[in-house]
Amino acid sequence: MTISKLLVANRGEIAARVLRTAKARGLATAVLRHVAEQEGPAHLIADEVVMIDGPTPVAAYLDISQIVAAARKIGANAVHPGYGFLSENAGFVAALEEAGVTFVGPTSEVIDLMGDKVRARAFVEARGFPIAPSAIEDDDPTTFVERARTLGYPLLIKPSAGGGGKGMRIVREDSTLKTEIETARREGQRYFGDGRLFVERYIERPRHIEVQVMGDGQGNVVHFWERECSIQRRFQKIIEETPSPALSPEQRLEICETAAGIARAVNYRGAGTVEFIYAQDGAFYFLEMNTRLQVEHPVTEMVTGFDLVAEQLRIAAGEGLSAAQSDIRQTGHSIELRICAEDATADFRPAIGDILLLDEPQGEGVRVDSGILDGGKVTTDFDPMLSKLIVHGADRAQAIARARNAVQNYVILGVTTNTGYLDAILAHPDFASGDVSTGFLAEQADVLTAPGEDVSTLLMAAAALSDQRLVTDVMQIPEMHRKMGGWRN
Amino acid sequence: MRRIFMIAGHEAECWLTHDGSRFVLNMPDGAVPCQLDPTGAPGAHVLRTGGRAHELRLAVGSESTFIHLNGRTFEVGRVDPDDRLAGREGAAGGDRLLAPMPGVVVSVAVKPGDTVTEGQPLLVIESMKLETTLTAPRDGVVAEMPFTAGDSFGLKAVLAQLTPQED
Repeated sequence: MTISKLLVANRGEIAARVLRTAKARGLATAVLRHVAEQEGPAHLIADEVVMIDGPTPVAAYLDISQIVAAARKIGANAVHPGYGFLSENAGFVAALEEAGVTFVGPTSEVIDLMGDKVRARAFVEARGFPIAPSAIEDDDPTTFVERARTLGYPLLIKPSAGGGGKGMRIVREDSTLKTEIETARREGQRYFGDGRLFVERYIERPRHIEVQVMGDGQGNVVHFWERECSIQRRFQKIIEETPSPALSPEQRLEICETAAGIARAVNYRGAGTVEFIYAQDGAFYFLEMNTRLQVEHPVTEMVTGFDLVAEQLRIAAGEGLSAAQSDIRQTGHSIELRICAEDATADFRPAIGDILLLDEPQGEGVRVDSGILDGGKVTTDFDPMLSKLIVHGADRAQAIARARNAVQNYVILGVTTNTGYLDAILAHPDFASGDVSTGFLAEQADVLTAPGEDVSTLLMAAAALSDQRLVTDVMQIPEMHRKMGGWRN
Repeated sequence: MRRIFMIAGHEAECWLTHDGSRFVLNMPDGAVPCQLDPTGAPGAHVLRTGGRAHELRLAVGSESTFIHLNGRTFEVGRVDPDDRLAGREGAAGGDRLLAPMPGVVVSVAVKPGDTVTEGQPLLVIESMKLETTLTAPRDGVVAEMPFTAGDSFGLKAVLAQLTPQED
């Protein structure tokens, strides 16, 4: 099958990123835009923009029938879902299939299997891959709390239908177990329409290590090595890198081959990520498999030199993988920073505002995947991530230095962002030594949000002198004095 | 002319004057001559104070001035001295719970007339996919709960109001 026209059923930076590769491959392209949505880079890149509507902007991007109808209307014969929204929705895949439109991704069966965290764990465990000790509510709801308790604290509660850290709760004391279960159930119900839960032993000071895999659906699966994503806040990744500073070459090979084995077991098609919890003692456990392109895929592209979206499009068109495992090597080191509209000094409150000035960093080894335009508006309609800053260096030290230089020179004025916070993380000695866990940001919260050098006098001077009304008023005062002086004479 | 700026949550007061040849920024702990000149690139300026030149980028928003200086970005809120005086006439801050961000009410735990103690949950809100429980800022009696579950609210909306404390 040849893809002639691709609709990107997403928005923001990922839509722009997918469109660039699609255009470079000579495809006709289209992208969605909600009627109330700001113009973004994707709308400028796509050949065609299809307007969608819904009760809320997010609801429009989740509206399967509207998006399938849009694909048919414009004659798109393939849809790339990006990440989030409908990217892991088996119903969407089925609806596209029925409409004769190719979904750039895995089969609906695999999405269903991996989307149900409980079934996915059982599947992986049954094939001999490692999973953490756990209790599953569905096995016997009446004994769920008791079985959870016997795993031993601390525990981690997760929604069965969950992902992305939403609805997850750490419980350290028995007294809070029941209330935390109820909160997690409510959140699961609201985010995923499914209140079923499972509980697993919480691994202390774990690292989050994941592996990029790619399969052609014909039995061939390769991995593109690992990414470390331990720098997280409330289970949301903020900084990702590859290679992981924690792994020895032997461990790296073991974890990557485990991931490829899991993908092979489902005859995986397309791009996927197998996530693991990596314990301090070097043991690792299957966490979940994301059946889509990840936010942090660019670090893999930077060190391997492969364009993962191009591989996705090749596979969807039946052309297969462009590389064998032995062709895929890691060269140098890459780090990604998620630039978010939020105030790190005010409990990460989402920030809104007009982008009054935007100047993105450039230079050797610097890549910016952006979802915003100068003059645009940041609202709370969508996720607070504005863009991603990705750097590559010959080694980790150079990558960190380049990341710091680039984030310091990332000028976004008009809306509060986390650039200063990201720089503080990169400057932390524990980050430099690689001695971090997923608890790092919480443990170091005070250090990372500490005010830097006091420049308030400079800020006041700049704010005062750029206030045209103030400057005009001040300049009129001497004149008044002169006039008053004249009257006295 | 007097100005109040809000920098990193703290108010700072200054007066800007012009002595006929240059601007002077006067602060409670001293005065510095200063000069700000554009350098060409969007928002780019050189600020000269105390014999030193600082390159910066700035953008003037409706309520704040955004400044990128030494690799960091700052928001400097401009507080009109008159507005601030007017604000003091209103209800004391401790009586109201203002929305820290726009969102949706998930559940409401109390009703007007209820007696609450400091730290007691009043309502649960959801903003940006995160659930937050808002608690009573002090002991008191609930005067108003303007929203019910499912309602949306904007930034700084009054989510709960306690009856004013008697002195």
